[in-house]
Amino acid sequence: MRISIENFTKSFGDTTVIEDMSLEIGDGEMLALLGPSGCGKSTTLFAICGIHRMNAGRLMFGDTDVTEVSSQKRNVGVVFQNYALYPHMNVYENIAFPLKVRKESKAEVDRKVQEIAGLVHIGELLQRRPMQLSGGQQQRVALARALIRKPDILLLDEPLANLDAKLRLEMRSEIRRIQLATGITAVLVTHDQVEAMSMCDRIALMDKGQIVQLSTPKDMYENPSSDFVAGFLGNPPIAFLDGTVADGEFRLANSQVTLPVPSGIEIPGEGAPMRFGVRPEFFQPGNPLKVPGKVSFVETQGREELYDVMLENGAVLRSIQSQNAGFRLGQEVSWGIEQDRVLAFGPDGNRL
Amino acid sequence: MTSSNFRSWPLYLILTVISMPLVIMYVYLFVDTVTDTTAGSLIPDRFTLHHWRFLWEEPETGRVSIWTVTLNTFIFATCTTLINVSASVTAGYALSRLNLPFKRFFLGGILTLHAFPTITLIISIFLILQMIGLYNTLIGVILVKAALELPLGIWIMKGFFDNVPWEIEMAGLQDGASRFTVWWKLVLPQVQPGVAALSVFVFLSAWSEFILPQVLAPSGSAQVLSTYLSNLIFDDMKPDFNMFKSVGVFYALPVIIIYLIFNKQLMNIYGGGTKG
Amino acid sequence: MRRAHLLGLGFLSPALAIILMLFLIPVLLTVMFSFTNMSTATGISGGAYEINAASLRKLADAGAQESFVETLGKESFVVDDAGITAAAAAYGEQFANEVGSQMLGERFSSRRDLERAFRKLKSRPRSTRDIKKAANLFKRSVLNIRFETAGGLVGAVTDNGIEMTPDQQELLTKTIYTGWTWTSDNFALMAQIPYVWRVAGNTVLYVVLTLAASVGLGLFLAITTFYLPSSSATSFRAIWFLPRILPNVIFVLMWKWLAWDTGFLSSLFANFGVPPRNWMLDTGVNAWVFIVLINGIVGASLGMILFGSAIKSIPQSMLHASEVDGASRWQQICYIILPQLRWPIMFICAYSTLSLLTSFEYILLSTDGGPGGATEVWSLMAFHTALDNYAGNLQYGLGAAMALMLVIVGILASLVYLRIFNFNDLVAKPRIEQ
Repeated sequence: MRISIENFTKSFGDTTVIEDMSLEIGDGEMLALLGPSGCGKSTTLFAICGIHRMNAGRLMFGDTDVTEVSSQKRNVGVVFQNYALYPHMNVYENIAFPLKVRKESKAEVDRKVQEIAGLVHIGELLQRRPMQLSGGQQQRVALARALIRKPDILLLDEPLANLDAKLRLEMRSEIRRIQLATGITAVLVTHDQVEAMSMCDRIALMDKGQIVQLSTPKDMYENPSSDFVAGFLGNPPIAFLDGTVADGEFRLANSQVTLPVPSGIEIPGEGAPMRFGVRPEFFQPGNPLKVPGKVSFVETQGREELYDVMLENGAVLRSIQSQNAGFRLGQEVSWGIEQDRVLAFGPDGNRL
Repeated sequence: MTSSNFRSWPLYLILTVISMPLVIMYVYLFVDTVTDTTAGSLIPDRFTLHHWRFLWEEPETGRVSIWTVTLNTFIFATCTTLINVSASVTAGYALSRLNLPFKRFFLGGILTLHAFPTITLIISIFLILQMIGLYNTLIGVILVKAALELPLGIWIMKGFFDNVPWEIEMAGLQDGASRFTVWWKLVLPQVQPGVAALSVFVFLSAWSEFILPQVLAPSGSAQVLSTYLSNLIFDDMKPDFNMFKSVGVFYALPVIIIYLIFNKQLMNIYGGGTKG
Repeated sequence: MRRAHLLGLGFLSPALAIILMLFLIPVLLTVMFSFTNMSTATGISGGAYEINAASLRKLADAGAQESFVETLGKESFVVDDAGITAAAAAYGEQFANEVGSQMLGERFSSRRDLERAFRKLKSRPRSTRDIKKAANLFKRSVLNIRFETAGGLVGAVTDNGIEMTPDQQELLTKTIYTGWTWTSDNFALMAQIPYVWRVAGNTVLYVVLTLAASVGLGLFLAITTFYLPSSSATSFRAIWFLPRILPNVIFVLMWKWLAWDTGFLSSLFANFGVPPRNWMLDTGVNAWVFIVLINGIVGASLGMILFGSAIKSIPQSMLHASEVDGASRWQQICYIILPQLRWPIMFICAYSTLSLLTSFEYILLSTDGGPGGATEVWSLMAFHTALDNYAGNLQYGLGAAMALMLVIVGILASLVYLRIFNFNDLVAKPRIEQ
């Protein structure tokens, strides 16, 4: 089912959380609402499922206007961050609850519960209580409960935040598998860019109640529209160099070091402030465009090693290299930047 | 907390000394019901069940049987609990979770009433009950007692509802349940410990209540154990403390049993800071 | 109003109805009653007009002319149809007809005059006794008859041939009305009660002493049991918690037994040659000691539990750290534990001040204000005045006025508490908006 949010505005008391936001989510698509806490992503989710009312704007499911329709009648399944399983019911009763509310026959309920339990792999847990389940199992139960009445839309509110690292990896692919298997339109709310990038077809990156970029994960990583987007995606994060335009080149602030501007961008006027973003994978010893500095931090991550290199003006570039490169803390190095992979941002933070 | 850095025996000593009067009173409360003591002596010297005769003997003319009175007390305490808990559970939920006009006003009102000198209203309640004909009936006392404990009950239940995760309710709505169904089937089971604690608390409070029945339903047919016992004490020119104590123990026994069983729930209400 | 509001109000309505019925209306009525002279004598449902010996005395006291009062009190004899019918039934048609034809409408101021007139009739009854009885049939009086309205009374009085000036009429109906009337005298009356200031003083003394005893003892118990191993701490806590849940009648009974002249203390001290006496009601000071002990111990129970749970919530590591730092137990209490208890102590003080101010159950059951009013407090005075006194005339109006003072204090105190206890934090916005 296609979802379209048109000119959505939401305020609590005097504070406006979201202003005039529009978003279109295609049928069968999985979209991530990504952003730092307080950016309005959960508010958007609550508006889609009807727990919050919209102050202005329109919400369409397919061709139906559901702006004024109550939660109960929207046919939306939600998985909450803490799963919100009903503690006094066992797994079977939890999953069956949406059907019981609709007064479906016992046999029908039983058939559907078994079917969905099979899909999310919890067939053997049906008699347990939520308290007796691990985080991942609770997650599966929550998914099963959200999916059992064949909702048009599945909403996931930080579904992996409460899991430990290993389970998070497992459930990431599980949720995606189930979403693809059911072909349901899904919206994932998360603050973790890895989750958003690995699970979703498209990402809507939000900041301060606005969607700052809406794109596929790969495109958003490679072509961020602003330094905010660039800084939000990528782990280890991108490093920024501040400077000004000098003779058609980029001059590092408080320094005589100049770097050529990547080809094909419009250079702002002489003396205008400018910002370079360099991802760690594009700052390597082998690259030609050398920048001298001193290794100020070394972190061993097992397969890779992460270095911080402090330039002469105090700015820091980050580099990620395969193990055993053998650089030591305090060592003077001169590594190179891959010129065409440099992201250049103008004074307002927007990509040039 | 025990700590090897500090000695315990001075604490034992001083606590034992100041607890002595209470312990003596408790011990004699029980011992005196089954013994006789020679006047002037402190040590009981004969075993007897004579003091418990009120349980099986026909009551004197003008007095009501202890069993009728006990039944009254039980009805009084049970009905008070039922009314109080039902009203507290609904109002507590409304104040904790629902959209409500003038919510601040209601909450402030409840808090004010909670701290309010309820007993000061007894004169006008007495007159009201006389006017509407509920004077000297159990119904009247039940309603009044349930009402007097209501602000506390609402406050306690609000506290319990506040601790139920919002997501449970949201999930219920998404699953297609109405707000009422959500409350009844999903939220209420979460606050069961609260309901139990409040019920025990109100039941005990009603079971022990003295002033209200004394003022609002003093006559024989609606008498409860507290007024029965206090009438017994006030009537007698020559007090028979052993008999008073037997009636007292008979009256206190349910309280002590309930205390032993529901100790944890009671502490929840008395100690949990739920009163503010 | 939105649908969502209706749901909330629906859930609130049972409680609202009960609170309205048994809190708000009583508060309003307390105010109302305090401006009436309601008492057992006036009744509560309204009154009637009746001239009798007592009301005539009241009338004279209120300044009515002596002759007027005398006339009202006198009986008169009127030959009217009702009397004639009665006479016919008792002494035959003939007599009745004769009376009717000759004397109808005549009025006699004494029975002797009427008897004299009867004696002149031919068909009169023969015996003197019968004549007397027959004369009594014509006796007409407004004495000892209840009239529901002032008009009924005035009509009856005029029918009996008593003329009244409008002033007299007003004085009469006002003075002899037996029901309650509006008045603002209660507050002046209250101020005139000779012992009212002593009662007010007693009340302050009672609140202060009991509060000090319960907070002090509660703190002491909470801290000492905290330092004991949990099994013995539980026993001590049980001993001190029991007073809170024991029905107050029983708790006071135990103390009465302790203090009675054949009770524990007397028997114990008899061994040392002290004559037996009622230790509780012996002297005013003794009575106060018992009042403070009884109420203080009940208050300490609650204090012990509240303070105890507050102490329990202090992180263990903080206490261990202070011990490593070399704090003695006393220093640990002063610098670590007590500062954590500031809030619960404040709460207990605020809450208990109000509840002590108005609670009188334990005093009523133990000393009943005695000996000689030494332990009478304000709420007990209101209770005694309105609901329970030896004189038997319960003055509801005056009692309500006394209670009203407490209601006012209560409302003021609650408003102050709402400010102190940061009310705004308690009002949460609902997160589901439908």
